[in-house]
Amino acid sequence: MATVEMNGTSFEVDEDGFLLDYKSFTNDWVEYVRQQEGIDELNDEHWKVVNVLQDYYEKNGIAPMVRVLSKLTKYKLKHIYELFPSGPGKGACKMAGLPKPTGCV
Amino acid sequence: MAFISSGYNPDKPMENRITDIGPRKYDEFYPEVIKKNKGKWSHHEILEPGVLVHVAESGDEIYTVRVGGARLMSTTHINEICEIADKHCDGHLRFTTRNNIEFMVDSKDKVEPLKNDLKSRKFAGGSFKFPIGGTGAGVTNIVHTQGWIHCHTPATDASGTVKATMDELFADFQDQRLPAQLRVSMACCLNMCGAVHCSDIAILGYHRKPPMIDHEYLDKLCEIPLAVSACPTAAIKPAKVTLEDGTEVKSVDVKNERCMFCGNCYTMCPSLPLADTEGDGIVLMAGGKVSNRISDPKFSKVVVAFLPNEMPRWPSMTDAIHKMVNAYSNGANKYERLGDWADRIGWEKFFEVCELDFTHHLIDDFRQQAYMSWRQSTQFKF
Repeated sequence: MATVEMNGTSFEVDEDGFLLDYKSFTNDWVEYVRQQEGIDELNDEHWKVVNVLQDYYEKNGIAPMVRVLSKLTKYKLKHIYELFPSGPGKGACKMAGLPKPTGCV
Repeated sequence: MAFISSGYNPDKPMENRITDIGPRKYDEFYPEVIKKNKGKWSHHEILEPGVLVHVAESGDEIYTVRVGGARLMSTTHINEICEIADKHCDGHLRFTTRNNIEFMVDSKDKVEPLKNDLKSRKFAGGSFKFPIGGTGAGVTNIVHTQGWIHCHTPATDASGTVKATMDELFADFQDQRLPAQLRVSMACCLNMCGAVHCSDIAILGYHRKPPMIDHEYLDKLCEIPLAVSACPTAAIKPAKVTLEDGTEVKSVDVKNERCMFCGNCYTMCPSLPLADTEGDGIVLMAGGKVSNRISDPKFSKVVVAFLPNEMPRWPSMTDAIHKMVNAYSNGANKYERLGDWADRIGWEKFFEVCELDFTHHLIDDFRQQAYMSWRQSTQFKF
């Protein structure tokens, strides 16, 4: 498995750039994903999505469904795509350090 | 190879981004005759296996030559298809819903040169590049999936089994001797991508061993509740496991006697792989159809519980398929699909004339509706 480095912290990632262990999440990881995903600047809205995802994952052991994420953050799917161009799965979940989405994707 | 940019700027990914434009509109690619006579066709005829003629109300005719395709094909092959279309069909061609290729010409005297050209083309190994056929009451192309070429959940290969089967049934691709059309489909796991659940004969990849559990990584890679809810028989439950080095991790526990090896949990969770060289193999199903001609659409039923993977030609699989096709073509009435025929003669006779073994695996035991598939009648043949 590959290792990437950001501001002196190294992270173990898979071939799609998802964090291998949720527990190794730090703010440096967010900065690393920001650069990978081509997001210019992180604002409060990005952080709100990341925090909601992490709270939900810690509480329930799964990533929320898209409708649940929309309801919890009050952001429509279109706005989530404006924040994370790769979308809630490949963009937001990766930034929040959640496991890679599975199934027929 | 050195990197060659398409003009995309990775520093500004959203700049000049074109999105939501959809596919090209189909009528951009119509041949002239099709464009002119769209919605005004009068009748059609199958002139010979693989060759159709459609006649318009205006009297215009279009001749279609259907040829088999391997579905998985290189750009070299597609270029050759384009070259044929340029030479004979003014650059037009189409693909069918079973991945055959259709070349269309607007007059009868253009058909023979096109056919002769198609027949003359072979691969270096000897296979026909463009075998003509696939029409009427015969066997047409096999709808199939990815197999070991590209997918991560298969129990068998797609392209390999399909080539072996199509070689066995090749005479019926070029002929129309059967009572009705016979659709063969293939799926490499029981996700059943494609048409196996509704085909006259279906080839299906099947596992026979429960998943292995990678406790060390499971909680890191998987959303455990999703793996638990992926199981149709509720064989999976969350569990805490102590690893060899003493750390306690969250994981799952699989009740092996409840597991029927569907592999759904692996789809949701990469730490539950179950593919196995000896365990994996093929299930054959039969009797499905999608049309509502005479009888309603039917699901196909399991008729062979397990055949081993025998790379590269799968002889016991092609043998069982051969027996079914033979018994069907000898026994069925005209217009009778395989499922209609089996329903008419009774499934106990189907197994007798196809020389297939009936095993307890074929008796439905999945939830309440299994009861409906048992015989609640004294009507049977010895």
